[in-house]
Amino acid sequence: MAEADAARVPAIACKDLQKSFGDVRALDRLSLRVPQRLTFGLLGPNGAGKTTSIRVWLGLIRPDGGSASVLGTPVPPRSILPRIGYMPQDLAVYTDLTVEENLALFGRLVGMDEGAIDRRTGAVLRLVDIAERREDLVATLSGGMRRRTSLAAAFLHDPDLLLLDEPTVGVDPELRAAFWRFFAELTARGKTVVITTHYMEEASRCDLVGLMHGGRILALGAPAELKARTGTANLDDAFLALVRGAGGSPA
Amino acid sequence: MRGRRVLAVARKSLSQFRHDRRTLGFVIGMPLLMVLAFGYTFGGEVHEVRTLVVNEDTGSFADLLLENITGDALTLVPWSSEEGAREEVQAGRAWAALVFPANFSEELLARRASIRAMLDGSSPTIVAAVLGTLRAAAERAFAGAGGAAALSLQPDFVYGSEDTRFIDSFAPGVVVLAVLMVTTVFSVIIIVREKAGGMLERLFATPLRPSELVVGHALALALVAFAQSVVVLGAALLIFQVQIVGSLPLAFGVLLLFAVGNQGLGMMLSAAARNELQAVQFIPLVLFPSLLLTGVFFPLEAIPAGLRGISLAVPMTYANDALKSIMLRGWGALQLWLDLTILAVYDALMLLGASFFVRRQA
Repeated sequence: MAEADAARVPAIACKDLQKSFGDVRALDRLSLRVPQRLTFGLLGPNGAGKTTSIRVWLGLIRPDGGSASVLGTPVPPRSILPRIGYMPQDLAVYTDLTVEENLALFGRLVGMDEGAIDRRTGAVLRLVDIAERREDLVATLSGGMRRRTSLAAAFLHDPDLLLLDEPTVGVDPELRAAFWRFFAELTARGKTVVITTHYMEEASRCDLVGLMHGGRILALGAPAELKARTGTANLDDAFLALVRGAGGSPA
Repeated sequence: MRGRRVLAVARKSLSQFRHDRRTLGFVIGMPLLMVLAFGYTFGGEVHEVRTLVVNEDTGSFADLLLENITGDALTLVPWSSEEGAREEVQAGRAWAALVFPANFSEELLARRASIRAMLDGSSPTIVAAVLGTLRAAAERAFAGAGGAAALSLQPDFVYGSEDTRFIDSFAPGVVVLAVLMVTTVFSVIIIVREKAGGMLERLFATPLRPSELVVGHALALALVAFAQSVVVLGAALLIFQVQIVGSLPLAFGVLLLFAVGNQGLGMMLSAAARNELQAVQFIPLVLFPSLLLTGVFFPLEAIPAGLRGISLAVPMTYANDALKSIMLRGWGALQLWLDLTILAVYDALMLLGASFFVRRQA
């Protein structure tokens, strides 16, 4: 019963979130509710407010107004940060550490014990297919491998919620497919995966998509639903139709 | 080589300067600051060296001599007893004490007078100034009578000795300076580097607190600083046979205390900097006042009164004084309580400040 209740708590809920940087309004009364146990794609052009949203949810920046909660905990969600995994857009792994040293650092920071870190490191590195580079300096890895290291660090502690900021930018099709298989596995295990992307065709692989533009959500729904609602054949066209409908112009 | 390409690169560099206002400020301000600091401190003359005078002379020649001590090199303070004067010098409250015996005038007439000069030999510059001023005064007072030749100065070293070499008095300052440089250079880069790769945000997406990040860095850097102190002090002791009268562990303790504060300062500046270039430019800003105003190369008494306030505000003044007192005077922790307290407060303030600035970055 308690578990069922916990599952009903939205992964992300925010209401009227506002955030400005100087004159730039990054979030404009953003309201959103994302249930758990699915893959949610936050889709929008550069500057739509996707990264700002993630930073607010992680408590890295304070919103100017409105409210937000993550897994039922109001932001900043300090107490439940160990239940969240985060992969930033710029990867953020130490290039002057080895792959396993990076993982050990983040494991320790979220409170894992050494035995668990050791066990999980082998498992997650196999999952992202860089197990053989475990003891290599990240500086010696290719861009794609660094991205896999960053992803491995994000879910080493088996978080309930993964926040992945543009995880597939510059990733080759093969690795991208591997990432998506992995996301599907996670949601099957009851985890929630939130990714941001500006690739429309990629968003169609998500269970739920939020089309974001100008710091607010224009539409929220399953990809098929959004296409049907706008009478369009793909998410690209759906997005353009929605932006026009909102009286804006796509960036 | 094509002129157009060369000019394109030059133009790009200047544009980068233009976009980085703080660097532009440094580029203009720093050389000016350096020249001013050097110009004002390289006078080299010491001023107002506190010198006690125990005058038991029943005649008038001692007074005549004292009247001929002119200029502001020495500040003469009459003192009642020889023992009391010695205690003052021992406690570091006076650099020297001159003792004129009761029969000074008689002995001078008999051409065998002597003045005993109790000296804190931890600063050869000051010893030279005291003795030099005294000789000059004797020349003036007794020139006609040929009395100067009949007068001998008996140095009585409370600390150090005639054998205290310049390098001995210099070594503590150089060791402290070396520790300052290595600790600042490392720490001033550390936060700005984390910021650059988005690491700071990534770290704060875990339960890590800014203060934990700062203290964690400080802990690692303190180990590095300790190793560096061992190398620097070890080389001074073994290669140059620099003397150390006091406790070696206490000397390392002082260096470590100083190092942690510097690292806090470095991290604070690092967090305040927008890029590595800005961060690196903070280094001379820390180094210059420390180099010139803390008594490492010139005793504090040689620093113009107007800059003395800055001297007292620069933490290295206290680290230098503490290490000097340990190595040359053999002082213990109790006698160094003021220096140690100030350094501990420095550590606490800098680590707090660094945490505050790091928090503002996140």
